[in-house]
Amino acid sequence: MALIARIAWRNIQRHRGKSLVIGIILFLGALIMTIGNGVVSGMERGLRDGIINRFTGQIVVISGRQEQDNVIFTPLGKDVQVITGYEKIKHALETSGYVDKFIPVGKGLTLVLNENGDVGYSLVLGVNFEEYQKMFMNNVKLVEGAFLNKDDRGILITSGNRKRFYDELDFWFMPEGVKLNDKNLTDEALKYKDRLDVKNDIVLMGSSMENTTMDLRLKVKGIVKYEYLDDYWKNFNIIDIESFREAFQYVTASDAAVNIPSYQRKLLETDNLDSLFEDNVVTKAGAGNKKYEIAELIGKRAARKKPGIDSGAYNIIFVKLKKGGSIEKSLRKLNDAFKAAGAEARAVPWGNAVGQLADLAMIMRGATIGFVMLIFFVAVIIIMNTLSMAALERVSEIGMMRAVGAQKSFISGMFFAETAVISSVFGGAGIIAGGICISILNLLHITTDNNILELLFGGNVLRPTLGFFDIMIGVIELAVVTVIAAAYPLTVARRITPLDAVTRD
Amino acid sequence: MNMIEMKDIRKEYPLGETVVHALRGIDLSVQEGGFISIIGPSGSGKTTLLNIIGCIDTPTEGSVKIGGEDITSLDDKKLTNIRLFKVGFIFQTFNLIPVLNLLENVEFPLLLMKEHKLSKTDIRERAEKAIEEVGLKDFLDHRPAELSGGQRQRVAIARALVTNPQIVLADEPTANLDSETGAAILELMKHLNETEKTTFIFSTHDPDVLKYASQVVKIRDGHIESTGKPGRSLKTGKTRSKAHVGKAGSTGKRRR
Repeated sequence: MALIARIAWRNIQRHRGKSLVIGIILFLGALIMTIGNGVVSGMERGLRDGIINRFTGQIVVISGRQEQDNVIFTPLGKDVQVITGYEKIKHALETSGYVDKFIPVGKGLTLVLNENGDVGYSLVLGVNFEEYQKMFMNNVKLVEGAFLNKDDRGILITSGNRKRFYDELDFWFMPEGVKLNDKNLTDEALKYKDRLDVKNDIVLMGSSMENTTMDLRLKVKGIVKYEYLDDYWKNFNIIDIESFREAFQYVTASDAAVNIPSYQRKLLETDNLDSLFEDNVVTKAGAGNKKYEIAELIGKRAARKKPGIDSGAYNIIFVKLKKGGSIEKSLRKLNDAFKAAGAEARAVPWGNAVGQLADLAMIMRGATIGFVMLIFFVAVIIIMNTLSMAALERVSEIGMMRAVGAQKSFISGMFFAETAVISSVFGGAGIIAGGICISILNLLHITTDNNILELLFGGNVLRPTLGFFDIMIGVIELAVVTVIAAAYPLTVARRITPLDAVTRD
Repeated sequence: MNMIEMKDIRKEYPLGETVVHALRGIDLSVQEGGFISIIGPSGSGKTTLLNIIGCIDTPTEGSVKIGGEDITSLDDKKLTNIRLFKVGFIFQTFNLIPVLNLLENVEFPLLLMKEHKLSKTDIRERAEKAIEEVGLKDFLDHRPAELSGGQRQRVAIARALVTNPQIVLADEPTANLDSETGAAILELMKHLNETEKTTFIFSTHDPDVLKYASQVVKIRDGHIESTGKPGRSLKTGKTRSKAHVGKAGSTGKRRR
């Protein structure tokens, strides 16, 4: 081994030019690979942390009847099944021991109506806004107006949606009492500022699964923007959960427990229709204590709600785990707990729930890896060619070694050692240089507003990271490149026979 | 005892659409301790014959035994081991490893044998002794490029002998040397043959070299044309190349 290393090292020195060419290629390859890995790693971490911390948590609980896991960016705003038996789910989450926080939300697509007859659409999240902000690091930032306070009814429209509504419906939403701010107007709106059709409320039309519709007029409380990944999340306006349920006719028990005239009550209570025609129909008045199965009355989708914000109908529950919690284990345990509690719900990982956004991240990652691999492919070809030429130039030396008794394995070892030494020295230097570049990139604090770059950055700031795992990946990639690049030249060298050396001489 | 036994050796090389018959049926027996010279004009088959004896090349037909072992059916690994343990080579162009110094070049085959329980000290001692025998003790740290042609050939001899091979093959060992250096090299080889009882087979077409040989085998067109002692008229083989050549009559003992 020492002999192989000695010969390899001296051969590298002897063929300095070739060694340097191969070394520089490996250095650049390792440098680009390290930076690429750092960016990919930072992107993945940024996206993961950003989406988990600010939008979904690690786990998303959905209805057991929901077919697709992707419940956030559903195609054409397709309805998400209603979660029933929320109290059982809530109990399972609260008693799990590994769940840090959770928040139930409603999610749906409404039409936006107006007097002109034009119809728009709006995706809405029905939430307890204060709880939502607490759960997701105050990710919703105010642009104009005010946030939704406790018990407020109203809507928070995103800047992105406001612009879209203006483009599609020709009116400009603003919270009441707020003056037009030129800075917040789009170029088009600014151009027609004097003729701007400003509206302070919005009419949403939600529909139940049975195609019954409900119009709901809501005050525009504020114009907001998501601090992170706004380009992807801006389609979601936020309304209070009660308004959401109303719009989507998730009829509640409190709605059902209305005071009705006794004749209506009699009408509902009676089993004998003939009795309706008796004289003493109107006998009692006041609220009854009978609860009506509204779901049966207006459709299966409608869910019954007992008074209280934490119970009732929702579509999605976002769950954050305690620090260090394993998503896989928690998913397994949660699903077992739901099953044991008889809750018709299922827990899915956040990546499945956000669907296309996670896919986009994967595509970006794939593209970056592909780019790095392309560079290495070119490097492999160049190194392979250079080493093959080197092998052919050393026929006399290699053939003579074989003539005096060196086995093929010795030649392989010697040749591989030469490549490995060059690879470790120059590739190692490339990885170190890549690490330094990553640190410099972090110090430069490069920001972006471009939505594609935001994905690549994993946020609006480029924060490439290089952990031990990334470095190990780099070392492995370098080793693979070395092995692949040396494989063919090595077979060329192994094929050299003593006779080749003698013949050449 | 016959160190080498070759029977009906034929070697053919395809050359385009034709076939070159390098050896056309050689029978050759060489006794242990011989100092044999193979002579003949260029293209007569001398080098091919040496290559086959040295397990560098394989015959198209016929059988070869080295020290009683038939080598014609051996795989590459076994042939390499025979080259390492039984045969020493001295090439016309020296063929030293350019990145190793004189001592390391001579140590090289011993290091390849290291797996056969040779200690580092043994290796160093044997290499230094071989170098001393060829008179280059003062050049241990020199790289081949820093040595003259004669010195390089002496290093090649030391490397060929350091493993105590049964046979040393030398292909025109003096071709690239001036006559004085060439003579010195042959004196050295002869001395080692006599003292170490090593079988030497060398090819040449230099008539001055022949006087050192104990036996001469003359080859022409792939046949053994004649055999005999140098300085006498050689026996001619009419129908089939056949030669039995004996040892030089040395009284020395082999090193082990």
